[in-house]
Amino acid sequence: MKAKNKKPLIIIAAVIVTAGVLALLYITAGQQTFIRTALSGLTLGSLFFLVAGGLTLIFGLMDVLNFAHGSMFMLGAYIGWQLYTNPTFIFGLLPQVLAFASGVLITPIIKPYLIRWKVPEYWIKILPKIGYLLSLLLFFVSFIGLDILGLADTAMVAATTATAGDALAEISVQEPLAQYWFRPILIFISGALVAFSTSKPGQKSEFAPKEKMIRKLIIPIALFILAVEATFIRETAPVTILLMNGNWRFIIAIIVSIIFGFAFGAVIEITLIRPLYVRPTFIIIMTLGLSYVIRELVQLLWDPLAYQMVRPPLFAQRGKAASLLEWLQNGNATIDIVGVTIPTYRLFVIALGIIMFIFITILMTKSRLGMIIRAGVQDPQMVEALGINVKAVFTVVFGLGVAMAALGGIGAGPFLPIQPIMGDHYQTQGLITVVIGGMGSYGGAFVGAMILGMARAFGDYFALKYSLSTAIAEASTVIIMIIVLLARPQGLFGKKE
Amino acid sequence: MTEKPITMEPVTKKTTISSLINRERGFLIFIAIMILFPFVMNWITGTGLNEGITKFWQGQFITFFIMAVFAMSYDLLIGYGGILSFGHAASFGGGAYAFALLMKHWAPNFMSQYRILIGSLDITQTIVLIFVFLIVLLVSILIGLLFAATSIRLKGTYFAMLTLAIGQALFILIKATDFHEWTGADEGLHGVPLPVWLNPTQNRLTVYFITLVFLFGSYLLMKRMTNSPTGHVVVANRENEDRMRMIGYNPVSFRTVAFVISSVFAGVAGALYSIWNMSATPNMLSAVTTVDALIMTILGGMGTLIGPIIGAGISQVIQQFFYTWFGARWPLVFGLLFMLIVIFLPYGIVGTWRLKRLDIKEGWHRFVGLFKIQKDQS
Amino acid sequence: MSDPTKQIDLLVVDNIQTFVGQFHILEGVTVTVPKGSITVMLGRNGAGKTTTIKSILGLTPPQEGRVVFNGMEIQGKRAFNIANLGIGYVPEHRAIFRSLSVLENLKLAERKKGDFDRHSEFVFGLFPDLKRLYKLPGNHLSGGQQQMLAVARALVPDNKLLLIDEPSEGLAPILIQQMMEAIKALSETTTVLLVEQNFIMASQLAERYTIIDDGKSVKSGLMEDLVHDSELIHHYLGASIKTREELEKAHES
Repeated sequence: MKAKNKKPLIIIAAVIVTAGVLALLYITAGQQTFIRTALSGLTLGSLFFLVAGGLTLIFGLMDVLNFAHGSMFMLGAYIGWQLYTNPTFIFGLLPQVLAFASGVLITPIIKPYLIRWKVPEYWIKILPKIGYLLSLLLFFVSFIGLDILGLADTAMVAATTATAGDALAEISVQEPLAQYWFRPILIFISGALVAFSTSKPGQKSEFAPKEKMIRKLIIPIALFILAVEATFIRETAPVTILLMNGNWRFIIAIIVSIIFGFAFGAVIEITLIRPLYVRPTFIIIMTLGLSYVIRELVQLLWDPLAYQMVRPPLFAQRGKAASLLEWLQNGNATIDIVGVTIPTYRLFVIALGIIMFIFITILMTKSRLGMIIRAGVQDPQMVEALGINVKAVFTVVFGLGVAMAALGGIGAGPFLPIQPIMGDHYQTQGLITVVIGGMGSYGGAFVGAMILGMARAFGDYFALKYSLSTAIAEASTVIIMIIVLLARPQGLFGKKE
Repeated sequence: MTEKPITMEPVTKKTTISSLINRERGFLIFIAIMILFPFVMNWITGTGLNEGITKFWQGQFITFFIMAVFAMSYDLLIGYGGILSFGHAASFGGGAYAFALLMKHWAPNFMSQYRILIGSLDITQTIVLIFVFLIVLLVSILIGLLFAATSIRLKGTYFAMLTLAIGQALFILIKATDFHEWTGADEGLHGVPLPVWLNPTQNRLTVYFITLVFLFGSYLLMKRMTNSPTGHVVVANRENEDRMRMIGYNPVSFRTVAFVISSVFAGVAGALYSIWNMSATPNMLSAVTTVDALIMTILGGMGTLIGPIIGAGISQVIQQFFYTWFGARWPLVFGLLFMLIVIFLPYGIVGTWRLKRLDIKEGWHRFVGLFKIQKDQS
Repeated sequence: MSDPTKQIDLLVVDNIQTFVGQFHILEGVTVTVPKGSITVMLGRNGAGKTTTIKSILGLTPPQEGRVVFNGMEIQGKRAFNIANLGIGYVPEHRAIFRSLSVLENLKLAERKKGDFDRHSEFVFGLFPDLKRLYKLPGNHLSGGQQQMLAVARALVPDNKLLLIDEPSEGLAPILIQQMMEAIKALSETTTVLLVEQNFIMASQLAERYTIIDDGKSVKSGLMEDLVHDSELIHHYLGASIKTREELEKAHES
């Protein structure tokens, strides 16, 4: 009962304190500076949230602290940037990715037959191993001679040379179909072998009913058709995309980043995280190793350089818009808000953060998946006993979290230099956000992100004003975290364990 | 508190020299090889003890010895205490900075003003060095206590995050341009003045043996500590803190002991590292350094002490050779290897060896047996 | 073993061995549950009753032995697959989802869309309290209400078998009565395997029993026979549990 009465009091106190702090900042900084700093704080906060939201979802459900989240943020930025600047790389690899996926996804179709297959005891253990080895072999063979680095180079050239006006000039010629055709086929077989091995042929204790076979066929066949399609449009599709309006291209880039993030996260969860749930410390260590590998891979593909992504036309026009309407019509780079000049792209980033927050809130409170997640946070075993595949839910949530990070990455793309270490800072801040907000609480992550963003922005401002170094601003977030943790170890919105 | 320690095994037998030699045979052989190494190298290559390739390899081993102690001190925390800390580099870097700051800003002043003599023997330098090392100890004890204090209220992941934050805060502090004239901000402190006999470019062999003795002493000390009643309580704390509390042990005080001891070893290792490089850089305080120790510990095997030494050696070798084998992107190969080890050898090299020793031996015998049978048949 | 009047055994647990961590918890448990009956597992605390239930469901998979449900071997399969074959589970300690509302708790248990709508009348008929409280979050319910919710949750989908673990634990006598009536009512449509410490309740509900002691099933048979066998009861279930006759005598005096 006491807790009930305390809650409104705490909320009122929090509102008063927040208002007081804001008023104090308003008075000390003056109106113009206050608005400018606050908006840049909100921009940072919204990027922090995009990282922290995924982290907190993943931590809440499966107690996994994903130390590769920053790398996934960075990867999202790279993928989106590729698509936006020169999608040759993406379309060059797409057929193989799709073919492999369609191969793996035939698992539910072949599994019911394979596990009923009578295999001698001795072979039950050996067969999957042979399958995996063969699949690995075919996987590498299918890439032999494919100039991946060359494909990756295309966007780099487009970004570094002065051909920005004519992106089409940088479309490179690709391997002719006559040489290329065997790759998707080999990799499809490689995927099918993975499917063969994961279904554990002859293993009687596995469960796979022969129901709804036709429905299960839809996804792999659709992917296969897409893979064939992608094989034929490898050269034309980049041109089509580059001829599009820049705004549309940017939207496609965002969507591609999200899809990539989801798929990547799901694959990582299944292959690397799942075997380690019994050893939680090792998950942290594994994700550390993973972030290392991702960063090195990106450096291998795109060199350890920093790239600047061109802003989409909606945010690129020179000149200042007087109102929101004028901006939307002309696509100005800056906008006038109460006499302060604000880059319009910042407003977009803020909107992105808020939209994602609303999306997560709806997902968690209204959808069945949200219900399962909230139940799973408390007792995953019981959720499983209700007939829900908790492992699959884990995969989906991990994918969602990574998709959010990737969205944050591409959202930050036109705003930050795109480089291998761009995610590191956001990961640290994201982790701090999660701790401040309370692990597993997405509302807490939002509030925490905004607090941190504001602290950073105003810290920078005051450091400049009193001619101190920016270390104050950098340390401010850490100090806030230490204070919160010592006063309220479970975080602002965390529940006591 | 009860007198009798609750341990699964009987309390350590008396450490006589012979039993020690028996138990630590492998380690002692390793140390013996290391003692002979410079001389053997000298004999084979014909270059002087303090020059050419012999000197180069001494340098490699000095880094290895120091990092091995640092990794072992981390193993005390994670392997024995079950404490996952991301701020362990604070002790390492703290020791290094304490040493470098004093040697650079205080010692020259002091030595130009005062002379301490015993008869006609000038011992100022020695006294200064001893004093500086005492300060290093003090600083690392304080850092250990700081981490221990935060662990009172926080556990598990939250604690790991807080250690990351504290480490990060110190890192930011040392990098802050406000203190540039003292800490050198981003560049760190370079050219730390050292007495000639301790200067690694002039007298590398001395530094080699100092660090070797340090590794030897640290290993034996840590081994002794983990086998002591206190060490057993720390391990029991890892397994079940609530039960320890009920029996009457205060988990916090034992955790504090673990933190302080591990911090002291790391701090001294840091100070030696700053002797060896004659510098202290912010990177020594960064989370990357902690992760390095973590990687070494995992590679070798947590909770084994000998494992982190092996891990440090491996990572030294990898840094040396992978560049020539795989080019500039060698960390990619290393990262992939590391992930494979985490999945397939979660107990590290030493841990897996201990688990599978019998299997491996049996396999070996069977392997040897195969040839025997063939011989008989032929 | 099985009752001749009931032709099919819905569930046969055949000599299962289960390890939890390093501990050998079940060292050969055999339980048979005929279709349409209530079977109760009796035994002291820590005898392995709950582990048996979890082993059936695949939450702690048995290392050896067979579990046959509806003619199909289910040991070693994933828990959600087993549950989806039509097994409902009411865990001990009222493990409802405290952060979800009553309605969400029930909706979560749906296996097909509309399960809840089809059965809501039956569920709310058994537990009228829940209808009144359906918007409240689970942590605002009293212990008895939580227990009812836990049972109700297992009734939402079409289950062939219900595994109910200690439904009377920690409940007030009046609530125990209500719970008993509910279990009786639901057993008309489904088969029930019950774990119960409260011998009076168990003896009134169940038709068959299995006694589990120290990880082994030691005795099973018809409840009627056990009720009169005070020696067996004393031996395996402890001195505290008395036969019904003794209890009645004690009440009279």
